[in-house]
Amino acid sequence: MPTKRTVLFMLLALLIVMALTACGGGAAPAEPAASSGDTAPATEEQPAATAVEPVTITVWDYYGESSPIVPIVAAFESANPDVKVEVQSLDWDTMLEKMNVVLTGGEVPDVVTLDMTWLPTYAPLGAFADLSPMANGKLNGVPLDEAYAAGALEAMRYDDQILAMLYDFDVYALYYRADLLDEMGLDVPTTWAELSDVAGQLAANGKGQYAFMADTFHAAQFLYENGASILNEDNTAAAFNSPEAVEAIAFYAGMVQDGSAYYWSTDEGWEVTPGLKDGRIAMFSDGAYYMGIMKDAAPEMAGQWRVAPHPAGAAGPGSYMGGTGLAIPAKSDNQEAAWRFIEYAMTLENQTGVFENAGAAPALLAALESDAVNAADPYFGDQQTLSVFLQAMETATPFPYVRQWNDIDAAFTVAMEQVALGEPVQDSLDAAAVEVDALLSK
Amino acid sequence: MAAHRKSLKHVTGRGLVYAVLIVSALLMALPFYWMVSSALKMEPFIFASPPQWLPDPLIWDNFIAVFTRIPFPRYLLNSVLVAVIVTVSHVFFDTLAGYAFAKFRFPGRDTIFFLLLLGLMVPFQVNLIPIYKIMSSLGWVDSYMGLIAPQLTSVFGIFLMRQFMRSIPDELLDAARIDGCNELGVFFRVVAPLALPGIATLIIFTFMGVWNDFLWPRLILSSNELYTLPLGLAQMQMRNTSNWGEVMAGTTVTALPMVIVFLLMQRQFISGMTEGAVKA
Amino acid sequence: MSSLSVPAFIRGIRKHGLAYLFIAVPVLAAIIFLLIPMVTSFWWSFNEYNGIQPPRFVGLDNYVKLITGDKIFRHALKNTTFFVFFGMLIGPTLGLLTALLLNQKVRFQALFRTAYFLPVMTSLVVVATIWRMLYNRNGLLNIGLAALGLKPIGWLSDPQWAMMSIVIASVWQGFGFEMVIFLAALQNIPKELYDAAAIDGADGRRKFWYITLPALRPVLFFVYVIGIIESYQVFDQVFVMTSGGPVYSTTTLVYYLYSRFIDLRLGYASAIAYVLFIILIIFSLIQWRFFMEKD
Repeated sequence: MPTKRTVLFMLLALLIVMALTACGGGAAPAEPAASSGDTAPATEEQPAATAVEPVTITVWDYYGESSPIVPIVAAFESANPDVKVEVQSLDWDTMLEKMNVVLTGGEVPDVVTLDMTWLPTYAPLGAFADLSPMANGKLNGVPLDEAYAAGALEAMRYDDQILAMLYDFDVYALYYRADLLDEMGLDVPTTWAELSDVAGQLAANGKGQYAFMADTFHAAQFLYENGASILNEDNTAAAFNSPEAVEAIAFYAGMVQDGSAYYWSTDEGWEVTPGLKDGRIAMFSDGAYYMGIMKDAAPEMAGQWRVAPHPAGAAGPGSYMGGTGLAIPAKSDNQEAAWRFIEYAMTLENQTGVFENAGAAPALLAALESDAVNAADPYFGDQQTLSVFLQAMETATPFPYVRQWNDIDAAFTVAMEQVALGEPVQDSLDAAAVEVDALLSK
Repeated sequence: MAAHRKSLKHVTGRGLVYAVLIVSALLMALPFYWMVSSALKMEPFIFASPPQWLPDPLIWDNFIAVFTRIPFPRYLLNSVLVAVIVTVSHVFFDTLAGYAFAKFRFPGRDTIFFLLLLGLMVPFQVNLIPIYKIMSSLGWVDSYMGLIAPQLTSVFGIFLMRQFMRSIPDELLDAARIDGCNELGVFFRVVAPLALPGIATLIIFTFMGVWNDFLWPRLILSSNELYTLPLGLAQMQMRNTSNWGEVMAGTTVTALPMVIVFLLMQRQFISGMTEGAVKA
Repeated sequence: MSSLSVPAFIRGIRKHGLAYLFIAVPVLAAIIFLLIPMVTSFWWSFNEYNGIQPPRFVGLDNYVKLITGDKIFRHALKNTTFFVFFGMLIGPTLGLLTALLLNQKVRFQALFRTAYFLPVMTSLVVVATIWRMLYNRNGLLNIGLAALGLKPIGWLSDPQWAMMSIVIASVWQGFGFEMVIFLAALQNIPKELYDAAAIDGADGRRKFWYITLPALRPVLFFVYVIGIIESYQVFDQVFVMTSGGPVYSTTTLVYYLYSRFIDLRLGYASAIAYVLFIILIIFSLIQWRFFMEKD
């Protein structure tokens, strides 16, 4: 019975193979990280003879198609023959999800692009390595407090640790259709009253509306502009239902109710780009990175848009302050090589690449002063766009660093969705505040 | 007169049946039609009102973009590879196990089977992170192995096969044994052929399940070259919410292989699917 | 290996050995991928655990908080039940109606069947993507409403509608499966039963109530139990179409537990999972009893 024998043999063979693979599947132990107390900046050349088996570092990158990370890999590898870099490109949402999963699981990447708003969740858990011993106060030889603005340094710190090197920064400014404002003879709004007036006139003439978005990033801008905040000073209770906060949100939501703003709900996508392209949106607020997105997705609109500081409220200008940090998971086995990659990404030349490739604002002061970054941008009618965002950074505020941030964010967003649909502002915010207070009381 | 009236009623009745069937079939097909036609439209016409029923001008740019910018052929290959391996493994292991549970008496049989069924009732999401941790300790994260290993057998498959095997009369098996067949002979000569409809059911459910699977691949894979079709589509959608034409072209490409397989093997599919419910 | 005759080896071991061999791999797989994870997450459900630091035992705290003080959990329970109720009300009914229509010797039966069944063949990611476009504020459905002189609906942005929109897309995708099962069952009913009833003077409605429906009973049972268990685990559609919003209106049990996992609250998520598990086990026991009865 040859067939029977074959089948049976296959069964046994399979069992054996399964058993073998199950036992022997573990990866070979990784190279122990070379101990280096004082890391020198990446040297230009290393003799090939000393090059041992190169370590491979995995880099997670959420920039997508306009990545500033991918273009620097080849140059880094030729400067560091003992390191191979594997970039895995993920979108923002997927990355957040996967990051949490790998942090619990152990198969961590060596370098990650980290949204600074994620740090509050991770910092207390010790998920990321403290970079201060590796940096030793310097980045590519420049003292950290000269390399970064004070606000940026503050955002990078948690307790006495530095958990990420700020790579780009994110503050919100006003994007507006200059061609339509010209056509209507309107000036760029600089105050809330003007914002409401200009948006109203645009909308009344079918020229598109101001975008209302019910997320914390956008709503927080109005809070800050009106002297309100999300949490109280010592982060122990909600503050987004204070009188100033209610006034701010009432103004913002009021623009939806009177038709001058368009409620862009997330089911139409996280980004307003389709609304820009079909003319529904003529003004919106967003970060510098959005310039890159617009150039990619709406090249035909070149010349129509400009950026300006977002209209000031009673307390002046305001914005959330965030950005992207480069961080090393605490469980990474290749921290030394990872740090070398981070330093390489933070050189002046590669920092300007953040602006050139991703359209985002680089975080290094030197890069912000460089000519490449401050060049006139033809897409925005030869405007020096970045200076607008730089100006906004001066008055921007980071989100509070608390472990419960994700839940607070969710509760506040739900309240914003409710007011967008016309529910009373005070009631909605009060209800969310009760939830947030309960979260913070633990 | 009565007979005449009855036939008239009959005729209008049949007319009504056809009308209902045709209208509802069109409604069912509409989303698919809209998917394909949107993929062939210029961007400004996708959400045009009144709707543009025929793409004008008809363009292929979105499909070209999908194939040049995104490695869809690679995704397709991955999907096929994973689905075939998992399906073959299910047929092999689930059938044998189903047979053992249905036709053998051995100590602990019912207890083991009950425990297996209990596992079936746990939502997969419960086990997600623990399984991920196991895969991680084996070094299988972001690999075909990690994607495939947790799905090589299924309790549902064993359950299904057991139900099928139970309907095979013991007398047939005994007769084969008396004819000198050993246990494997009994299995391959008598049981397997009789269980073929059940195996077909198993193949279809397994293949479709793996083909459409989203959550597990999404968590275990991070390298683009390992992505399966649904993953590729979701990724495209996340990155590209502004261009519905391209997204719909990607959706069409993702949906097409299964639709073609189905149209070619309709009869087998439907009998395979219903067999499980009606007979088991 | 070659010196050992395989059939002789087999003959040598007892009958039980063979049975254990047959179930060995699946049982091993079930231990690794079902049992161990199940026990692990059961243990987590009594702990505060973030996956990075060691778990801290908190007894029943997670369960108490879930049942007494968690607003989102109550939303999730309500939304999931809504999904199961309307999905199970509409899906099988449509499936049965179309099966009854198709079962009356219509022409082009295969063509119609294909049209109703095709969505079953597409993945939920595909279905959710297509319907997201149809549900767009300027999408085909709202254009249709406008043509009828009706106001547009915020299909996915209005909390009143969002869950229903997910039900509609899911029913569209799934009822073809129920239809083919009913159709097969209908074709299995012996024609003689109807002939006999006709001689007794039964009309169509009576035939349906006294012959068709009783004959379909086991299949109906299968469709409902499987459908309910599956519907309670609704996730993919929510994930792709709404991410649980707006205002928690589409947060389902599995979506909520998933979002807790993703926020590194593994203990709490496990507690949600075990509450769902209890719900499912009730339906599963009903099914189990049924199959045992049949044996």
